[in-house]
Amino acid sequence: MFNKLENVLAPIAEKLSKNKVLSAIRDGFIISTPLIVVASIFLLIANFPITGYPEFMAGIFGEGWDGHLSSVVSATFDVISLLTVIGIGYSYAREKEVDRISGAVIAFVAFLIITQQSYPEYVNEAGKAFKGFSFGNLGSQGIFLAMITALLSVQIFAWVKNKGWVIKLPDGVPPAVMESFAALIPSAFVMVIFFGFRMIFQVTDFGYAHVFVYKMLQAPLMGFGEFAAFDVIYQFLSNLFWFFGINGPAVTNTVFRPIHEAMTIANLNAFELGEPLRYIFTGPFRDFFSNFGGGGSTLSLVIVMLTVGKSQRMKQLGRLSIVPGVFGINEMIIFGLPVVLNPIILIPFIFVPVINSIISTVFMSMGLIPLTSGIALPWTTPVFFSGWLSTGSIWAGVLQIGLVALGCAIYYPFFKIMDNQYLADEAAPQEKIKDELDDISLDDISFDDL
Amino acid sequence: MKRVYLFCNAGMSTSLLASKMQQVANEYKLPIEVKAFSDSKMEQIIKEFNPDVILLGPQVKYRLEPTIEKYGHLGIPIEVIELEDYGNVDGERVLKRSIKLIKDKEKQ
Repeated sequence: MFNKLENVLAPIAEKLSKNKVLSAIRDGFIISTPLIVVASIFLLIANFPITGYPEFMAGIFGEGWDGHLSSVVSATFDVISLLTVIGIGYSYAREKEVDRISGAVIAFVAFLIITQQSYPEYVNEAGKAFKGFSFGNLGSQGIFLAMITALLSVQIFAWVKNKGWVIKLPDGVPPAVMESFAALIPSAFVMVIFFGFRMIFQVTDFGYAHVFVYKMLQAPLMGFGEFAAFDVIYQFLSNLFWFFGINGPAVTNTVFRPIHEAMTIANLNAFELGEPLRYIFTGPFRDFFSNFGGGGSTLSLVIVMLTVGKSQRMKQLGRLSIVPGVFGINEMIIFGLPVVLNPIILIPFIFVPVINSIISTVFMSMGLIPLTSGIALPWTTPVFFSGWLSTGSIWAGVLQIGLVALGCAIYYPFFKIMDNQYLADEAAPQEKIKDELDDISLDDISFDDL
Repeated sequence: MKRVYLFCNAGMSTSLLASKMQQVANEYKLPIEVKAFSDSKMEQIIKEFNPDVILLGPQVKYRLEPTIEKYGHLGIPIEVIELEDYGNVDGERVLKRSIKLIKDKEKQ
């Protein structure tokens, strides 16, 4: 049965990773992630979840101390669509093997061409309409349009370039000059076509591409993100992939990430403005409320190994895995226990995260703990701190500890079966199987060409 | 200096193995540099450093075919690390395996 399932899942993973569009989206978001995390630290300093903290800071730095911090937050979160369009434009250009920075900037310009730039409803003293870009169009509401724009503009750019419709200069011209001339006609195509899009949307009821894409695509997808079983589906699939030794989130994120991202930033904007948060299943929820210590929530398993493991193998693996496990890294367990294709561990490995997800969802929807504020922490943030800082409530950290304990109880009987088996194996005299690698002696290696 | 570069999704767990391998290499004074990276940086890293061996973490095994398709022509040996060696963070065995790959390539 496992073979059959593996035959289905492995090609899916390979197809998804080979797909240029999906790789470009995945890698494009990776480009903006560090910026988001750093900006989150600024936001966290401005809103540290301890009572009396704001007054304390105001006492030192004076009223309005947090205003400057939020300018860093705005420079990343409020323009997340720009970061997305540049990131995906860059990585899609890499996939299409055209000049990357040209790809990034042409996508950026294409996005701005179709964005609203004049606001007749706001006039200055001279009665002229306000001109500029509004954060509303560059922030979370534009993420999907940013993705589409980046892919489409680089696609056009690469197509024209590969047609050979470029201005060629004689040899001896500096390569940098060549490159900019080579980008001229492809860029012109992209800009004219996006100008065309702008004009088309102008005559429709939507007015702007932003409104159209948000209403037709992003809002329905985010609606799916509000669906009660959204995270359960995500966790189930991710951990199923892990069970076959495939990095689960790397596969599932190619599809889920844009939705997670949009919901995270939407919560964050609400949080900044002091409005009620809307979405439960944000990126921080995905990272911090289902899996503790890596896929399969194996921190619980590692704790059981360390505390009640009897076989040498379990004890050693527990010692090896506890420190990385605290930071959410668990490949030692996945491949060392192993989890991969191990029918005994399958049940808790898949269901502990699912149960965690359900319990966290229930706690949040009943208002027992707050929703995640959208503050992005590295996914390696340890349990308790991740819950506390991502929601602003210490009780979320306490809930995480409770879930880890519950996970220990669920893992225990399955762990026991394996532990006993290893004990029996260890009692029997073993003959070490040798292979060619054991014949290599590290003492007398030489490399001729050094 | 021979470069043995490991790639996985974020370069996190491979970096644990890489540091173990580096330790062993240093112990035996072998002129080998072992480093771990995120697989999204692969192209850039290959271009810049021209590694002698590329090893993928087993969790990104599904990227083996695309990787060979893309970089196989460079003649760099590309392999997926054995499950068991990876799980036990057995730096010595993976280092030996890398040395074998380098030696085999030199023989050709």
